[in-house]
Amino acid sequence: MSQSQEIAVVGSPEFTTGFRLAGVRRFENVPDGEKATDLDAAVTNVLADEGVGIVVMHDDDLEYLSREVRGEVETSVEPVVITIGASGSGGGGLREQIKRAIGIDLMDEEANADNQT
Amino acid sequence: MAKDVKPTRKNLMAIEDRIELSERGHGTLEKKRDGLIMEFMDILDKAQDVRSGLSDDYEEAQKKINMARAMDGDVAVRGAAAALQEHPEITTEAKNIMGVVVPQIESSRVSKSVDQRGYGIMGTSARIDEAAEAYEDLLESVILAAEVETAMKKMLREIETTKRRVNALEFKLLPDLYDSQEYIEQKLEEQEREEIFRLKKIKEKKEQEEKAERADTDDEPESGDELEQATAGGLPGGD
Repeated sequence: MSQSQEIAVVGSPEFTTGFRLAGVRRFENVPDGEKATDLDAAVTNVLADEGVGIVVMHDDDLEYLSREVRGEVETSVEPVVITIGASGSGGGGLREQIKRAIGIDLMDEEANADNQT
Repeated sequence: MAKDVKPTRKNLMAIEDRIELSERGHGTLEKKRDGLIMEFMDILDKAQDVRSGLSDDYEEAQKKINMARAMDGDVAVRGAAAALQEHPEITTEAKNIMGVVVPQIESSRVSKSVDQRGYGIMGTSARIDEAAEAYEDLLESVILAAEVETAMKKMLREIETTKRRVNALEFKLLPDLYDSQEYIEQKLEEQEREEIFRLKKIKEKKEQEEKAERADTDDEPESGDELEQATAGGLPGGD
């Protein structure tokens, strides 16, 4: 398990540029207009790369993925896919998985806040 | 399932052994599931902190890069991004939490000094440096989030598997085994009752036979006397 891996970024050129500025060299640029057709292939390509340990994506881009690839993104452990963006919840997949495994929606902040008060 | 087993004492003993083992396994798995959930709760707290940090870092990095784009132009920012020579790398080590192997990610060459970045100092502005620095911080948060979220995903899978095993034992295997045990016990009791009934019948029959025999033997001497009397009275002028 102790092998050297890279970080990859998938998304629009505006999204990936910042990460490239931090030194990330494995990236897949998919312009906004082509996301509906090309994003699936780009994500599958990165997920199949054994040299990649972490994949970074924007939260909103998950909407463009097909059901199959989205499922893969949400459950993949090697590489792990980290989504960042406005919602900041870490993607719906993890939340659903928690609900299924534990039986309670532990990421429901409103409910948690109510319980604490 | 209950009717599939042969109602023998050997099978009953085997089923009792399986029940004992399954009950022990059920208890152990329940403890494991509870332990995993407790561990998961700790990780979840950490994950929520990491997540909020990640969102903050992303917002900050977005602001910085937008500023750099606005002031220096998109081409300059992309040019600087393309010139980077040092690339961050991650190495993963395994850590064991209650039998679940989770990764511990270590990173190298994420934060860099200005001269390590590779783009010239003269051709770029401080805003690009700031944006690069902000994205380096963001990468650190991403790596931390990856570690925590991988651990969470792996633990959730293990919790789900353990939960399924507990439920299978509790609602399928153990009830089936109890049914089989009850079925065999009932059948054996029935066989025992039949055996007792049969023995009683045999005993009764034997007693009746003995009685009849005794009656026969009692009858035999009486018929002998009658014969004697008959022979004595029947020959009056015998002398």
